[in-house]
Amino acid sequence: MTSLEIRDLTVQLGSREVLKNLDLYISSGLFAAILGPSGCGKTTLLRSIAGLITPKGGAIRFGKQLVSISSLVLPPHKRNVGYVPQEGGLFPHLSVEENVSFALGRRVSRKEKQEIVEQLLDLVGMPNYQKKLPQELSGGQQTRIALARALAMKPAMILLDEPFAALDQTLRAEISQEVVALLKSSKTTSIMVTHDREDALVSADIIALMRDGQVVQSGSPSEVYLRPISAAAAESTGDILTLPARRIGRNKYLSPLNSPVEQIGKQVGFESGQILVRPEEIVLMDEPDENLVSAKICKINYYGHDALVELDFTGLSQTIRARVTDTKGLVVGSRVFVSHKGPFRWMPEKATGE
Amino acid sequence: MPRRPARPSFALALNLTSLLAFLAASLPLFYLLRRALDAQISEIALILFRGKTLEILATTLGLTAAVTACASLIGVALAWMLFNIDFPFKSGLQALVILPVAIPSYVFAYSWILLIPGFKGFWAALFVLVLATTPYVTLTTLAALRRSDWSTYEVSQTLGLNGWQIFARVTWPQIKNSVAAGSLLSSLYVLSDFGAIALLGVDTLTRAIENIYRGSFDRSSASILALILVAISALLIRLEERSRQKLNIVKSSARIITKGVTTGKLRIKLIALLAINTYLALGLVIPISQLLSIFFANSTSINYSLLSKASLSTLLAACLGALIALALALPVGVLSAQGSKLGKVSDKAILIVHALPGIVMGLALVSFGSSIGWLYQSLLLLSFAYALLFMAKAVGSVRSSVARVPENLIEISATLGQKKSATFRRVVIPLATPGLLSGTLLVLLAAMKELPATLMLKPIGFETLATQMWSYTSIFRFNEAAPYALLLVLVAAIPTFLINRPDKGDGLGGDRI
Repeated sequence: MTSLEIRDLTVQLGSREVLKNLDLYISSGLFAAILGPSGCGKTTLLRSIAGLITPKGGAIRFGKQLVSISSLVLPPHKRNVGYVPQEGGLFPHLSVEENVSFALGRRVSRKEKQEIVEQLLDLVGMPNYQKKLPQELSGGQQTRIALARALAMKPAMILLDEPFAALDQTLRAEISQEVVALLKSSKTTSIMVTHDREDALVSADIIALMRDGQVVQSGSPSEVYLRPISAAAAESTGDILTLPARRIGRNKYLSPLNSPVEQIGKQVGFESGQILVRPEEIVLMDEPDENLVSAKICKINYYGHDALVELDFTGLSQTIRARVTDTKGLVVGSRVFVSHKGPFRWMPEKATGE
Repeated sequence: MPRRPARPSFALALNLTSLLAFLAASLPLFYLLRRALDAQISEIALILFRGKTLEILATTLGLTAAVTACASLIGVALAWMLFNIDFPFKSGLQALVILPVAIPSYVFAYSWILLIPGFKGFWAALFVLVLATTPYVTLTTLAALRRSDWSTYEVSQTLGLNGWQIFARVTWPQIKNSVAAGSLLSSLYVLSDFGAIALLGVDTLTRAIENIYRGSFDRSSASILALILVAISALLIRLEERSRQKLNIVKSSARIITKGVTTGKLRIKLIALLAINTYLALGLVIPISQLLSIFFANSTSINYSLLSKASLSTLLAACLGALIALALALPVGVLSAQGSKLGKVSDKAILIVHALPGIVMGLALVSFGSSIGWLYQSLLLLSFAYALLFMAKAVGSVRSSVARVPENLIEISATLGQKKSATFRRVVIPLATPGLLSGTLLVLLAAMKELPATLMLKPIGFETLATQMWSYTSIFRFNEAAPYALLLVLVAAIPTFLINRPDKGDGLGGDRI
C-alpha cells in the first residue's frame, strides 16, 4: 500500500513521444482508473510505472521511494508492483497453483506456499482450481488467477491493463465488480487502464482522463463527469453537446437554450465561447411555455431503457440530442419546448491573438 | 535511489559463452591456415601446380557441375509434376521423393556396388550423387511453388498462355531463387562428399586430402587442398547469394492452393507417373531392397557383439557432441533471437562452419588436437568436431523457439520479482524446451552418420556404425556391412520424417538435413 506520484513524465517510443510531461497523483489505497481512447498512451503509462519502459525524463515515486528519475530506473523485479496484463498473461507451462506461487521465493516452504495459494484462490472465488492448466480456464477465470498471482507477492501497487476487455458483456459487469471489491477490500493501491467509460465510472475512486499522452483531468467520478474542464475531457466520460454561446455581462450568457450557466475557469475578458450540456440534462415539454425555446423533433433513436431525441432549433446549424426515458407523446416532425436540469458549463474560447 | 537497468551478470554470462562459441567456430579455419602456412611458398606452388592436383581439381569441379546440373533439372521437373499434375496418393509421393536424401551417400554407393559388381568411376559417382542430391532441389522448389501466387497461373491461362509459356514466364520467375538455393545445397553436398566418392574410386579433393593425410601425414599439403575446397564452397555460396533477386510476390487474398493446375490429359499423367516412379525405384526401392536382401541372406553370420558395440560407441560420441552443441548453441541462439550483434556474428560463424566438409573439419581438429597432447584421438575431440559441424542445426532451433516465447510473459515474470536469470530459467527455457530438444536431436542424428571426420578423429579401437561399415567395405567384405548400412539408413530417416514433411508445412527445413 503506497501512494503514486508522477511528475513531468516523458516517454519516447521510437520516434514518437507517447507521454508528454505527464503529471499524476494517486493517494494510498485508492482504486484509480486511467480512462482514454486507444492510442492515448495509457498502456505506456502503466508499463512505465511497472518499470518495463525506460522513460526519457520525469520522476515516478512510490510513496517516498523514488523509482524512476530521468532515465535512471529501478528494474521491474525490484519494484514490487503487481501487473495484470490484458488476457491475464498466465504462464502456459505452469498449473494454476504454480502460477499463483510464482513470485514466492525459495525461502517460503512448500506448505506455506500451498496455504497462501489456497487463501488467494478463495479470495478470487476459484477454490480447488490448483491443478488446472491456464488453457482450461475461461477468460474471466484467467484474469482472476492473474490477479491472485499478482497479490501473492503482497505488492505495493496493482496495475491492471484493460482487465475486462476480453470478457463478454454479461460476465463483464459481474467480474469487474467482484475484482474491484476485492482490490478495494485489500486496500492495495490499484490502477486500472481502460477505454470503457462505464468500467471507469462505476469502479474507480479516482479517474484520470488521458488524451494525447497527458492527463487532462483527474478527480472523483462525479467530479470528472459533472465538472469537465474541457469539451474533450467531457467527451471522455460521456455524451456531450457543445453549443456556441456569448457572455453578455457578469454571470449573464446568451445561449440557444436561454438558460443559466455555471462558471468553470476564468471568465474575464472573453465574450464568446461554448457551453457544455449532457444530453440527459435536457428536458422536453409539450406544454407551451413562453419562457422556453421550441424545437422540432427530427429523429428518435430508441434504445429500450432510454432514447435519444434529435432536435432542430431554428437558427442553429447543428441538431441537439436530448436523452429521455419516456418517448410517450413524442412524434417526429412535431414541436416541443426545451428546458434543462441543472446549470450548464461555460467554456470561454481560447484567447487567440489577444 | 534507482540505478542503471538490470545487473549485468546474466547478460555477461550469455555474452561470454556466445563469445566462446564464436571462438570455437573459428578454430577450424585458424588451424587450417596455420598448418598451410607451415609450408614454404615454393612448396605451396609445387603442390598447387603439379599435374595431379590440377587433375583432381578438374575432376572435382566437373563432377560438382555435372551433378548440380542434372539434380537441378530432375529436381525441378519432379517438383513441377508433383505440384501441377493430379494423381492418386499425391501427398504420399511428395513425401517419398524427399526420402533418398536420408540415405548417407556411402550407403547409396555401397548398395549399387552390391547390385552391379564393378560399379565404379566418374559416371557411377555422377549417377549416385544425382540420386542422392535431387531431393534438395525438389524440396526447395516444391516449397516455392506452394508459396507462389496461385491467381497468376489462372490469369495467365485466361491470357492465352500454354503450359510451357506459363512455366517460363510466370512460374520460373517465382521459383528461381529457391531452385538456386536447392542447387547450392546439392553442389555443397558433392564438394564435401567423401564416402561415395572414395568407394567408387573417384579422385576428388576430399579423397586427395584423406590420401595425403593417411599416406604421408603431410598436414601442410592436406591443409592447402582443404583450403582450396573451402574456397570453392565459399565461392559457390557467394554466387548463390548474388544470383538471388528480391521477389515481390503479392498474394491475392482469395487464394486456392489445394491442387495445382490439374493437367487432366491421361498421356501426361502417365508420363509423369513413370518419371516419378523411375526416380523412386532408383533412389529408394532398389538400394533399400538390395540392403535388405543382403542383410537377410547373411543374417546368421552377423557379429552381434561388434554391432552392438559400434551402436553404443556411435550413440556415446553423438550424444556428447549434441550436448556440447546445445551448450554452445543456447547462448548464441538466445542472443541472436534478442537481436544482439555478438549473437548474430556468432550465428553467422557457426553457419560458415556448418558448410565445412567433414574431412576438412577432421583435418583442422587433428592439427588442433595434436597441439594439445591429451586431446589428440580422444572421444572429446571427436564429439567436439560433431558439435562444430552440426551446431548450426541446434542454433536455428534455439533461435526460433526462444523468439517464439511471448514477450509479455517475460515482462510479467520481471514484475513478479524475478531477475533476468530467474526469468530465463523459469519461463524462457521451459517454454522453449520442445525446440531445444528437436535441435539437439537433429545434431545427434547427423553426428551418428558422420563418416570422414570420424575416420580422422576417432580414438584407436573406437568404431562407430559408419566407420565399421567403412572398414568392411574397404576390404570388400560387403556382406558384413549390410546391418550397419541398414541401421544408418534408419537413423538418417528419422529427422527427414520429423522435419521435412513436404506434405505438411512449407518444407523450410530443407537446409537442415
